[in-house]
Amino acid sequence: MMVNIVIDGKKLEVEESTTILQAAQQLDINIPSLCYHPVLEPYAACRVCVVEVLVKGKTDVVTSCNNKVQEGMEIQTASERALRARKLNVEMLMARAPAAEPLKEIAKDLGIEKTRFEIEDPDEKCILCGLCVRACQDVVGAEAISFVERGKNRFVSPPYGEPSEACIGCTACAYFCPTDCITYEDIKGRKVIHSELHLGPETAIRVPIHQAVPMVPFIDEETCIHFKTGECKICAQVCPKDAVDHDQQDEILDLEVGSVILATGYKQFDASRIAPYGYGHLDNVLNGLEFERLVNASGPTGGKVKCANGEEPKAVGIVHCVGSRDENYNEYCSRVCCMYSLKFAHLLNEKTDAVVYDFYIDMRCFGKGYEEFYHRLLEEGTKFIRGRVSEITEVPLTPEEEGRLIIRVEDTLLGALRRIPVDMVILATGLEPSVDHNKIAKTFNISCTQDTFFLERHPKLAPASTFSDGIFLAGCCQSPKDIPDTVGQAGAAAAEALALADKGTFELEPITAVIDEDLCSGCQMCVNLCPFTAITYNKEKGISEINDALCKGCGTCVAACPSSASHQKHYRDEQIFAEIEGMLIE
Amino acid sequence: MEEQTSEKTYRIHLMVCAGTGCVSNNSFAVKDALKEEIKKQGLENEVLVVTTGCNGFCERGPLLVVEPGKIFYQQLTIKDIPHLVEEHFLKGRPVEKLMYSPPEDKTPIPVLNDIAFFKGQVLIALRNRGLIDPEKIDEYIARDGYTGMAKALTEMTAEEVLEEVKQSGLRGRGGGGFPTGLKWEFVRRASTNNGGIKYIVCNGDEGDPGAFMDRSLLEADPHSVIEGMVIGAKAIGAQQGIVYVRNEYPLALKRLNIALDAAREYGLLGENILDSGFDFDIKVTRGAGAFVCGEETALLASIEGRLGEPRPRPPFPAEKGLWGQPTCVNNVETWANIPVIINRGADWYHSIGTETSKGTKVFSLVGKINNTGLVEVPMGISLKEIVYDIGGGIPGGKEFKAVQTGGPSGGCIPKEKIDLPIDYESLSEAGSMMGSGGMVVMDEETCMVDVARYFLSFTQDESCGKCTPCREGTKEMLNILTKITEGKGTEEDLTLLLELAQSIKDSALCGLGNTAPNPVLTTLKYFREEYEAHIKDKKCPAHVCRELNTYTIDEVACVNVGKGCDMCRRNCASDAIVGEKGKAHTVIQDKCIKCGVCYDVCRFGAVKVD
Amino acid sequence: MNNESFEPKIVGFLCNWCSYTGADLAGTARMVYAPNVRIIRVMCSGRVDPQFVLKAFSEGADGVLISGCHPGDCHYQEGNYKTLRRYKLLNKVLEQFGIEEDRFRLEWVSAAEGAKFQHICNEFTDQVRELGPLNLNGGNQ
Repeated sequence: MMVNIVIDGKKLEVEESTTILQAAQQLDINIPSLCYHPVLEPYAACRVCVVEVLVKGKTDVVTSCNNKVQEGMEIQTASERALRARKLNVEMLMARAPAAEPLKEIAKDLGIEKTRFEIEDPDEKCILCGLCVRACQDVVGAEAISFVERGKNRFVSPPYGEPSEACIGCTACAYFCPTDCITYEDIKGRKVIHSELHLGPETAIRVPIHQAVPMVPFIDEETCIHFKTGECKICAQVCPKDAVDHDQQDEILDLEVGSVILATGYKQFDASRIAPYGYGHLDNVLNGLEFERLVNASGPTGGKVKCANGEEPKAVGIVHCVGSRDENYNEYCSRVCCMYSLKFAHLLNEKTDAVVYDFYIDMRCFGKGYEEFYHRLLEEGTKFIRGRVSEITEVPLTPEEEGRLIIRVEDTLLGALRRIPVDMVILATGLEPSVDHNKIAKTFNISCTQDTFFLERHPKLAPASTFSDGIFLAGCCQSPKDIPDTVGQAGAAAAEALALADKGTFELEPITAVIDEDLCSGCQMCVNLCPFTAITYNKEKGISEINDALCKGCGTCVAACPSSASHQKHYRDEQIFAEIEGMLIE
Repeated sequence: MEEQTSEKTYRIHLMVCAGTGCVSNNSFAVKDALKEEIKKQGLENEVLVVTTGCNGFCERGPLLVVEPGKIFYQQLTIKDIPHLVEEHFLKGRPVEKLMYSPPEDKTPIPVLNDIAFFKGQVLIALRNRGLIDPEKIDEYIARDGYTGMAKALTEMTAEEVLEEVKQSGLRGRGGGGFPTGLKWEFVRRASTNNGGIKYIVCNGDEGDPGAFMDRSLLEADPHSVIEGMVIGAKAIGAQQGIVYVRNEYPLALKRLNIALDAAREYGLLGENILDSGFDFDIKVTRGAGAFVCGEETALLASIEGRLGEPRPRPPFPAEKGLWGQPTCVNNVETWANIPVIINRGADWYHSIGTETSKGTKVFSLVGKINNTGLVEVPMGISLKEIVYDIGGGIPGGKEFKAVQTGGPSGGCIPKEKIDLPIDYESLSEAGSMMGSGGMVVMDEETCMVDVARYFLSFTQDESCGKCTPCREGTKEMLNILTKITEGKGTEEDLTLLLELAQSIKDSALCGLGNTAPNPVLTTLKYFREEYEAHIKDKKCPAHVCRELNTYTIDEVACVNVGKGCDMCRRNCASDAIVGEKGKAHTVIQDKCIKCGVCYDVCRFGAVKVD
Repeated sequence: MNNESFEPKIVGFLCNWCSYTGADLAGTARMVYAPNVRIIRVMCSGRVDPQFVLKAFSEGADGVLISGCHPGDCHYQEGNYKTLRRYKLLNKVLEQFGIEEDRFRLEWVSAAEGAKFQHICNEFTDQVRELGPLNLNGGNQ
C-alpha cells in the first residue's frame, strides 16, 4: 500500500513499510546517521538521524532510521529542533570519540569545528554505535560480545574481558565497525601481507580466482557463518536474483566409463617445513605461486612488485631447490623451478630497479630456448650465486642489515660464506603430488614410485599408461614437468584412451585360470580365495566354475587347489616345474 | 500456613505496623514485647496481636492501632509496653502520652481517623492498610478479597470486564498515566505470533529515590495485586503473569511469594480458577539493580535475560512485548485498584477525582514536612491540603518553598502554585508530572540548584548508556550544575544548560532520558534567581552549597552574648578560628574549609553565614 | 667338493607386477649383483604352489626366494597375503625335512625397488653360501 508524505517540502509516494530515512534516500536527501546499517535491524541509539515530523496535528522529534512513514506525514530533516539535537549529539560524541573518522565528516558537514565538551581520550574511536554487537548477535548468532557497564562507562567487550569461546573468528564485528576501532589478529601471529595471497581472511562467499571459469562465486563451508551458527545468510538477502542457495548438496554421480585419465596435478612443497627459511612468519618471504600472483597484472597490486610495507624492494633473492634435491625432504629434482626462477628474475629486472640474486645448485635449462634464456639473464646483470641457502634471517649484525632480510649462503664458486641483505625472498618451491594422492592411488589401485608420484607402465616405452588397463596418466601426477611436456603427455593419454574406445574389440588376458570339471571335487576352497569373485560354485554340477571375463589371472586358486583341478593357462604347474628343472641343471 | 482464625473472639486486636519503615525501627521487637507482656498479664485469650503491612505514618513509627476504636499509638519503644498493657488493655485507660499530638498543639488525638494525617485520605489501593496480616490469605478474603475476581471470572465476560475498567477512567499509576482500559483493549485486540500466549506484567521496579508506594503495597497487601492481575488476564486473554520486583525489596518479595503459594493452594490461581475454566498463573522475577529497568521495554528485556536497555517504540509491548508476544505492563498500584473497580463498579470509581483523572493516588510524602509517610488522596486535592493539612506543615516553622513531584523525572511546583489541584494534566502543565507518586517538600533551606544537581546525578548514574543524548548529555548537564554549585559557573553555562536540556528532551530514546532534564527546566523556570545568585554573586541563598558560604563571627554578639565561650575554635577542624576564651573570636577566611561546624555549635547565634 | 668355490643355486619366484619389474629396474640401472638367483616369473606371488618350492629344493636348489608386492599393493589385491600364509606353514614343513629355514625366504620388492632387489640377491646369496650346499638327494654333482 502506498502512502503520501512530504519531506523538506517535496512530495513523495512510498510503500507503507518504508522508514523515514529510506524515503529521504529516495529523494537523495542525506540524513546523517552513525548506528544505522541497511543490513541490520535499526538500533536508534546514536540519535543523529533525528528529524521533526508533523503527523495528525502533532509535531515530534523522532529518529528516522526506525520510524515508518504515515499517511500525510510532513517531515523536516533539518528543522531548528532537529538540527539542534543533531548538532549537540554530534558535538558530545566528538568529546567521547575524537578520532572517529565518520563522526569527523558529519561534524564538518554540520559546520561544527570543535567540541565544547571535555575530551577524555583523544585517540578514542568507539562511538558506541553497537553495530559490532548487533552483527555478532543477530547476523552471526555467536553472541560473543556485548555492551557492558552502564551509562557513561559503557563499552563493548566479550564476557569478563577474556577472549570468548563463543567467538568464531568471523571478523564480522570488524567488518561492520564504521570507525576501524576493532582489529583482529591471526592467533599464530602471522602478518597479513596481501589478503589475496590467502594469508589473511577472505569472505566465505567469493570467486576463487580472477580467471575462474565460470566466473561465479562459491560458498566456502569451512568459513561460512551460516554453517557454523545457522544465522546470517546476508548474501542471500542482498542477491537481487535470489541465486544464493545454502541448501545445495554435493551430488554423487555414478558414471560408467571404459577408461580413466588421472590428471590430478601437483601441490607446492610447503616451505614452512624448512624452518630456517622463515616462510610463514617472516614478512616478504614468498613461495613460487605467491610471487606469480603478486606479479600478475590482475593480482592484488596490479602487477607491481611490492613488499608488505608497500614499497618496492631494492634487492630480491631467489632461492632454488626449496624442498627438492634434498635428502631431508624430496630427493628428486622438480624440473620446473630453475626455469620459473629465471622467469621471475627476468620480470624483476624488467619491472623494478632491484638487484636480483639467484641462489642455485645447478642451472637446469633443458628445453627449447631455455639455455638461451639463461644467457639473457646473465647479460641482464642478474647475480647468480652457486650454493645452497642455509638461513634467511631478520637479525642484523651490522647497521646496514637493519630492517632487511639476510640470506646466509655458502658461495661455492668463491669458496666463502656470505650474508646477503635483501628486501624480498622468493622460494622456488618444488612440486609434490596432489593432496589426496594416496586416496586416488588406493581407489584406482595404482602403484606409486619411491618419489611418491604415480607409477607409469614403463618409464621409457609407456609413460602415459599404468599397469591397470584403461587407466592413463597425464601431467604432474606422474612426475614433475612443465607445460610443453604436460601437453605432450596429455595428448598421448587421450590418444590411448580414445584408441581403447575406438577399437570396438577388447583384448582379454590370455593367462586366466580354468577348472577341469573332471578333477574338481567341489571343495570350494578356491571360491573364497578369489579376490575378483570370479569363481562360483555350481550346485547342480557340484563343481566350481571360473568366469573368464572376471578372472585376472593371479593364480591364487591354482596354488590352493588340492586336486590340481584349477590350472592357469601358460603358467601351468608342469610348465613351471619344467622351468625349475631346466634352471637347476648345472 | 497456620490457622489463626478460630472460634475465639478477642476483645481487643492490636494491629502492629510491620512495614519496612517500622520494622527497621524495631517494630518486631515491640510486637514480641507486647505478646510477652500480654501473656504475663494473663490476657492472651482476650488480646490478639496482629502484624499488618505499612500503616502509612512512617514518621511516627513504630505504630500500633488498637481495635476496636482505632486508638492510635506511635513512637513506641519496648520500655513503653508494660505500662501500656497494664493501663490500656488491662485497666481500660488509654495512655495519652503515647498518642499522637500535633507539633503546635500538643493535645493528644486518640482516634486515628481524627488525626489530620489520616483524615484527608481516601483508601482504595490501600484499602486493607493496617487491617490485615499480609501473610494470611483468609484475612484478605474476609475483607471482600477475591470477590471481584470471582465476579469477573464467573459472572462477566471478558469484554464486560474490559468495559468496566475503561468506564472507570483508571489511568496507569506508574507515571505514564495512560488510560488502563485502552491499553488492555490494545493487548486484547493484538494477535499472538507463532502460536504464543499473551502476557501480563506487573512493574514492581519502583526506582525513584524516596518512593515506596509500591513497596508498601506489596508488603501490606500482595493479594490485591494478584487479584487485579487475574482479572486483567481474563479481560485481555492472557495466560501467564509475571511480577517484576526490584531485588532491593526482600520483604515485599517474601510476602508476595507467600501470597502466591496461598492463592494457589486455595485454587485462586493456576489451572481452572474457581472452576471457571480459566487458567492463569504468576511468576516472580527479580530486578538486578537498574533504575532503567522500570522502563517497560527495558523491563521486558530484563525478564528475557537480555541486556536491560530500552528499545524504540513502535512496536509497543501491547503488540510485541515479552518474547515478541502482546504484553500488558501495568504498575503495582494500578493492579491494586482493579478488584475494587470490579466489585464496586466503574461509576463509583468514576465519581472520585477530577474530569480527566479519576480515582485516588498514593503519594510518598517526604522531605521538609512534619508528617512523613504514605498517603492516598483523591485526584483533585490541592497541594496546599496535602502539605499543610495531611502533611502537617513544615517543621521548625520554616518557609515552604516548593514541592518536587514525580521524582527525578518530575519537576518543582513553587509555592505560588500551592493551590494547584493534583491531577495528571495540571501537574504537566505546570512543568512537572505525576510520576509514580513521589512528593518531596522543600523549605527555605533547600537550594534549588542543588536539588536539580541531585536528581541529575541520579539519572546520570542510572542512564543505561544506549543513546547519545542521555548518556553524554546528562553527564554534561551534571558537570555544569556541579560547576555552578561550586561557584565556577558562567552565563554561557546557563545557556548551554538550557540548550542541552531541550535537546535531550527532544532526542532521548526513552522516558529516563527525555524526562531527566525536567528538574533542571522547572527549577530554571521558577527559581532562576537562585541560579543567577550562584553564578553572578557566587552565593548560595539557602547556604546549602558550602563552597559559596562565607562564615564570619559577629564579635559583638560573641563577647556580649556568648562571653567568648570558645566552642567554635575548639571544634574548628582546620584551625581557622582565632581568639582567647572570654574574648571575641574571628574566622581566618584563607584557612576556612567551609564545613559549617562553627555555625552549628554556636548557641548564641554569633556565627553568621552568608 | 671344494667349499670355497661353492656357488649356491637359488631359485627365485618373482611376481610379474612388482618384483619382476623391480628386478628389471635393477638391470636397466646397471646394478651389479650376485648372479646366483635364477628367476621364474609368475603373475602373482600367490601363484606359487608349495610344490614348486619343494620341487626346486629336490632338483638341487640351495635356496629359494619368493618375492612379491608389498602387502596392500598386490596387483591382484590379496595374492601376497596367501603367499605369506603358505610361506609360514611351508617353513615348518621344510624344517621337518631338515632344510634350514634360512634357505627359504619371502621378500617384498616393489617395482621401484631395484636397489632392494640387488641387496636381497647379494645378501641371500652370501647367506646360503655360508650354509653350504643342500645336497638333498645326495648331491647331483
